[in-house]
Amino acid sequence: MDQPRTDEDQQLVARTQEGDVAAFDQLVVKYTPRLYGLVYNMTSNHEDTNDLLQDVFSKAYKSIRGFRGKSSFYTWIHSIAVNMTLNFLKKRGRRFNLSLDDVDASVQNDKEFLELTQTSSPVREADLSELQVRLNEAMMKLSDEHRAVVTMFHIQGMPHAEISKILRVSEGTVRSRLFYANRQLQNYLEEFRKNPVS
Amino acid sequence: MHQFNENDIGTLLRLKRHEQPPPGYFDNFLHEFHRRQRAELLRQPLWRVAWQRVHDSMFQLNVPTLASFPAAAAAIVALATVLSLKVSQTPPQSDVVGNNAAQPSARLVSTVEKDAAWSLSSPVATRDLGATPFRMAPGTVRTHGTAATPRYVLDSTPVSYEAALRF
Repeated sequence: MDQPRTDEDQQLVARTQEGDVAAFDQLVVKYTPRLYGLVYNMTSNHEDTNDLLQDVFSKAYKSIRGFRGKSSFYTWIHSIAVNMTLNFLKKRGRRFNLSLDDVDASVQNDKEFLELTQTSSPVREADLSELQVRLNEAMMKLSDEHRAVVTMFHIQGMPHAEISKILRVSEGTVRSRLFYANRQLQNYLEEFRKNPVS
Repeated sequence: MHQFNENDIGTLLRLKRHEQPPPGYFDNFLHEFHRRQRAELLRQPLWRVAWQRVHDSMFQLNVPTLASFPAAAAAIVALATVLSLKVSQTPPQSDVVGNNAAQPSARLVSTVEKDAAWSLSSPVATRDLGATPFRMAPGTVRTHGTAATPRYVLDSTPVSYEAALRF
């Protein structure tokens, strides 16, 4: 996935630090879709995602004067989002309801989706909403930290190095968590393969 | 029978990118952000708003950077301490006044006698004006509009004053 231009971000951050509120608005507009995907896939709940995202940008605005540019704004804002979401998930515990967004119609034209429906019987036989629910349920069976890694790597398409910076862990830890999470997901989805429409 | 492998997992998860919030959500997000910011500001107590403004102005002055120079801060404290000690060690005014008050009449007599012995033939440079001519000022002379005596005493007369005295 394309990395945002950091020099443009630096200019917007500098302007925000000088008191230009409109510059921060541009950062909000730019990063909302990416951060929405990150938080949504960690919470599987639209309302929680909306509240969290508002809090993330609010916290970023309050803290941006202290941002010294040691990392890129991209890494910094993602770190805030991941940490706030992990804290939220710890408080929420296991009491939650899936509140899933609609799958965009464009998925029907997705090349990977077409290939998958041709080769994978569970995917072929299940309707799209069923598949979506199963996937999200499988994701929610992972621990919060593993889900964060899976979301950033598989869904957001981030490289291992970037994930390690955001989570402040080694790349080895990222790879290890990813390996373990994939194995877990495979096991969870085996039930779906054996009994696709139950 | 086909089993899910790691690639399938990755492909399935990538499909989650197609899960999108309701149309217009991202357009309204900024408006909602502004509304929440305003609401939060109104909920804050006055002291917190004031503190936030002070905090912001500190950042504009870059005070944290200055504070990173403890030597400068220590120097300022040391200077303030030395100055305060100097002020507190200034001799009491009553002593100076007492010494001056006890001697003016005697010194006046002494200087008058010396003036009588002086003649035009005497070189200017050898003229003895007395050790403390300005101490002879009468006690009623007011300086700076107050009756306070001078806080310091001249031990000799500057040479530049001699011409004024003679001519």
